[in-house]
Order: sequence, then C-alpha cells, then structure tokens
Amino acid sequence: MKLLTRTSIYYFISSLLVFVIGGFIFYNVIQSIFYKQLDDTLITEKKLIEEQINYSDSLPDFRTVFGHMIQVTVFNDRLKKSEKINDTIIASDDRTELISCRHLHVTNTSISNRGYIIHIFKPIGETKNLITAILLAMTFLFISLMGLLLLVNYYISKRVWIPFYRTLRSLSHYNINQEEPLHLTKTRISEFRLLNKALENMSIKIRRDFLNLKEFTENASHELQTPLAIIKSKLELLVQSEQLTVEQMQLIHSVYDAVTRISKLNQGLLLISKIENNQFSAVEKVDLQKIILRNLENFEDAFRMKNISTRCQCNEPVILSMNRSLAEILVSNLISNAVKHNVDGGNLEVLANQTNLRISNTGHSLSISPQRLFERFSKSDRTSESVGLGLAIVRQIANLYRMQVEYRYENQLHTIIVSFPFPDSEKNKSLKE
Amino acid sequence: MKILLIEDEKELSRSIETYLAQESFICETALTYDQAREKINLYRYDCVVVDITLPDGNGLDIIRELKKNQLETGIIIVSAKNSVDDKITGLEIGADDYLAKPFHLAELNARIKSIIRRRSFSGKNEIRMNEIHIIPDEMEVFINDKQITLTKKEFDLLIFFISNKNRVLTKEAIAEHLWGDEIDLVDSFDFIYTHIKNLRRKILEKGGEDYIRTIYGMGYKFGTS
Repeated sequence: MKLLTRTSIYYFISSLLVFVIGGFIFYNVIQSIFYKQLDDTLITEKKLIEEQINYSDSLPDFRTVFGHMIQVTVFNDRLKKSEKINDTIIASDDRTELISCRHLHVTNTSISNRGYIIHIFKPIGETKNLITAILLAMTFLFISLMGLLLLVNYYISKRVWIPFYRTLRSLSHYNINQEEPLHLTKTRISEFRLLNKALENMSIKIRRDFLNLKEFTENASHELQTPLAIIKSKLELLVQSEQLTVEQMQLIHSVYDAVTRISKLNQGLLLISKIENNQFSAVEKVDLQKIILRNLENFEDAFRMKNISTRCQCNEPVILSMNRSLAEILVSNLISNAVKHNVDGGNLEVLANQTNLRISNTGHSLSISPQRLFERFSKSDRTSESVGLGLAIVRQIANLYRMQVEYRYENQLHTIIVSFPFPDSEKNKSLKE
Repeated sequence: MKILLIEDEKELSRSIETYLAQESFICETALTYDQAREKINLYRYDCVVVDITLPDGNGLDIIRELKKNQLETGIIIVSAKNSVDDKITGLEIGADDYLAKPFHLAELNARIKSIIRRRSFSGKNEIRMNEIHIIPDEMEVFINDKQITLTKKEFDLLIFFISNKNRVLTKEAIAEHLWGDEIDLVDSFDFIYTHIKNLRRKILEKGGEDYIRTIYGMGYKFGTS
C-alpha cells in the first residue's frame, strides 16, 4: 500500500468518526433547544388560559387567540393539580392525516372550585423540517470539507514526498560496481536532506570497503604468483638431481603437488578478480560452436578414460560478442565440470543454439545445495582434489555478459544452462555483418 | 646456441638459466629493460625470451628493436596468464611464440628448441636421436629408418621427451603440454599413461630402445644414459 493511500485512509476514518459523534451530539442539542422553545410556548399559553379562568371564570376564545388546537374541559368537582408534557399524534381536523405534536396536559382546580383539564397541542412538523435542513446542510459541508481535505492532503503529500521518491529511484538504480559514487539530488526538506546525506555517506563507505576488498584479492593473488612460480621452478630443478632417494622423491612429489594446487587456486582467484575488475575488455565476435567442438576434442582422452559417451547438438554457428579467452574458459570449465562429476560409463550432452548453452551429465546426486553450486570453494567432497572455483568462474563470466546461469536436475541429468541475453538482436547483428 | 633471457624476477631467471645451461645453451640474463636493450645492441642471440612486463619498460619495445636489427633471432614472449592483448600484439610484431606464466621449465626448453630448430636448418627441420629420426613438419617418425604411425598426442609427447631428454618431466608438465592448462582434470595423469604406453610399444616394435622410465610418483624421464 502506498504511503499516500494509507494517510488518506487514516484522515478519512478519523474525519468520519468526528462527524458521526459530532453529528449525533449536534442533532440532540438542536432538538432539545427547539423542544425547550416549544415547551416554553406551551407553558406561556397555559398560563394565559389559567389567568383567564381564574380572573373571569370563563374560557377564552381559543381560535382567535392562539389559532391552534386547545381543548379545555371543565368539571364540577375539584381536580388534583398535575402538569405533564409529551409527544403525541393526533388526527387533523378533516381526519385525513396524522399530525405529530407536542402535547401539554394540565389538570387543576379554579378558584371557584371547579376542576378543569387543559390539552394544548403544538405540531412539531415545522421544527422537524428545520432540524433536517440543518443536518443536510451540515452533511454537505462535511463531505465537501473532507473531499477538499483529502485532495489537499494528497497534493501536498505528493509534492512533499517528491525528493523521497527521487532518492528511492537513485538507490534502486545504484550498482556498487559502477564508477560514479551514489549521488542524490538536493532537497530543501531537512529530513530528506539528512536521509540523503546518510545514504551517500553509507554508500561511499560501502564502496570503499568493496573496492578495498576487490583490490586486496587481486593484489594478494598477484603477489603470490611470483613466489609460487619460483617454488615450482626450483622443485623442477631439484627433481633433475641424480642423487635423490625414493623417499626424497616422495617428499618432493608431495610438495610439488601441493604447490601446483595452490598455484591453480591462485590463478582461479586472480581470474575471478580480473573479470570483476573488467580487465577482459577486448570484446569480439566469437563462434561458440567452434570453441565447443575444439574443447570436446581436447577432452577426448578424458571421455575415453571414464567411458563417457558424448552427444553434441550444435549444428549452427553461435556468434556471441564476448572476450575470446573468457569464452574458452567458460566452455572448458563447464565441460571439465561435467567430466569431473561424471560416473564411469556415463553420458555427457552439449547443446548450443542462439538462445542458450546446455551441458548435461550423469553423476551422483549433489552433496551441496544447488544454490551454493556456483559459489567459490563450494565443492562436493567426492573430488576434493579439485579447487572448487570452476563454476564460480563460469558464473562470473556469465554475469559480465548478462547471461543467466542455472542448474537443473532433469531426466537423471545434472544440467547447467547458460542463457544468452537478447538472442534476437544478437542474431540480427550477426546476420547483418 | 646463445640465448638471452629477459626476466625481472631474479630467482625465476636463475632457475631458467640453470635449466637451460644443462642443455649446452649459453644463457645470458637481463633483469631490466635497460640491460636488455644494451645486450641486444651489443650481441647476437639465437633466441630471446622476453617478459612483457618489466619494471622499467615494455618488453614489446624490445621485440620491435630486435625485429629491426636481428631478424634471424627467435623470440618467445613470456607474460602473465590471460593477457590476450599482449599475446596478439606480440605475435603481430614478430614474436615466434608465446608462453603464459607460470610455465614449466621443460615447456620453455621445448619451445626454445623448436624455434631454434626451425630457424637454424633453414627449412630442413629434423630431429635425430640415435635410431629415432623425426621430421616435425611432416609429422613423420622413423625408427631404424622404418616409419611408425603415431597419433597427434603421441607425436607431441615424443618431441617433448626428446627436447627434454635425460630430464625428469613431471606429469603436470606433460599434461599441460598435451592438453593445455585449461583441462584441469584430477585424473588427467591416468591418460598420460595410456599415451606413454602406446608410444613405448610402437618404438619397441620397430626395434627401438626403451627410453622411457617412470620416476617414482613424479613423472617420466626419456633417458639415453
């Protein structure tokens, strides 16, 4: 729900509440004022009649004096004094309609010791009409006021929150990898200014840490390169020595193996950080089909060794705009992965077309979750000799060229799918050239 | 044979020098760009190994200078892995070969020998070792003048062995030579064995000697001694 909708709803509900309660009180107050007035008139008239009775012992001519319904009955006995006012309904003179009235009922005894009863009726229809009119006017006032309030609130909020939405837009478009630091537009509202300031500072700090980390990884791997190369070359010289015993040779072999692994690991890390730092900027049209076929040939010994039968469905050139080395690495890492985790006598399928590249292989079930498959150093312990960077590199390359990489397990086959972005435009481009 | 090694990393340079010296190469070293320029202007070399990234200059400029003054010199570029730009530029301006760091000494040795072979015999490129006679360009191999048929991998393996004869070749070095380092398979060493077994059988069948020896755990040695 949008902030604006929510505040509007709150405004609406609270105004409605005020109106209902206020309206109820208002209605009652108006009604009691009008009734008071009616009752006062009734009492005044009663007094006039009583005065007349007591003064002249006769009844006034009501019709000429008051012009409405008064009924006086005189008795010969004394009557107990009482007086009450209530609402009642009487029939009109011609008995065609009912009239709702205020009714004064008095019983008393005159000075000449004769009891009398006075009924005075006053129609309240007019009063009711007045109250209804007032209430209607009020409702109209309320609705227009509320409408205006909501409208004004809506526009004010919309205007006031403009900087906020602008900040939000900048934030969602911000990529930590981009060259420019986060820059938010100036605003005069101090809360938003503070927010922008805080966000900018935070992004600067995060960016600095991020760059430091990236730089560190690259520098560390780079600095490790030379000592590793030296160790390897010295070991290579050492094994040439004629006087080595079998035990010594075994020791050297272990050291050499370990150094080779560190070296591979280091090269992998260096490669990842180089891709991250966009050092493979040279982009050209590469034909994935050729690269796949060449790699399959190169892996032939591995296939034969594990009795893997391969099937390749890539009958047309697949032209991609990317760095040639990275394309080679992408394909060879995927095939190498499909061989490493394959079983003896298994299958390996490669399928490539304009939209995607699929490599499927038979193999044991995954010992890690599919989500972690493309992370660095996430490897199943089955082949603990491997470094665990192959698929991380694949993902890094895919990210660079906005390709999607996903893992699926279908028909008993582990499948890795690399989907190319905008296959159509890519195709059109290659056709034009 | 005179070789100039231009490499700024002193220890690495010494390793290469030691390895090459055992091949009866005369190996000179230059640690900086200036030293390298001085040497190529004073002496002639059969082969120059250039590291592209030098602290005080670019190795590519040395190649350009060599191409001006010593056309017959073979040039091998050595540079950090995956610097494709270096590779392409280097080969364009006339380098003969490119080797990515880190490399095996045996690999560099084989590459140097291949270049020198191609350059010194002006077209008549051949390798003779006892009863083995190889014509690399034709991919032909004769044992006691009887031709044998080798697969591409067996052929590459034989040349690699002969280039590094009497040296222990680690399995890693052989695997990288035959498949490149991208293959990166844990069990790649098992299939080296298959190729070696076949190569040995084919040489023995034509009455050749059994030169290939297994060096415990490490690798193989193609020995004449």
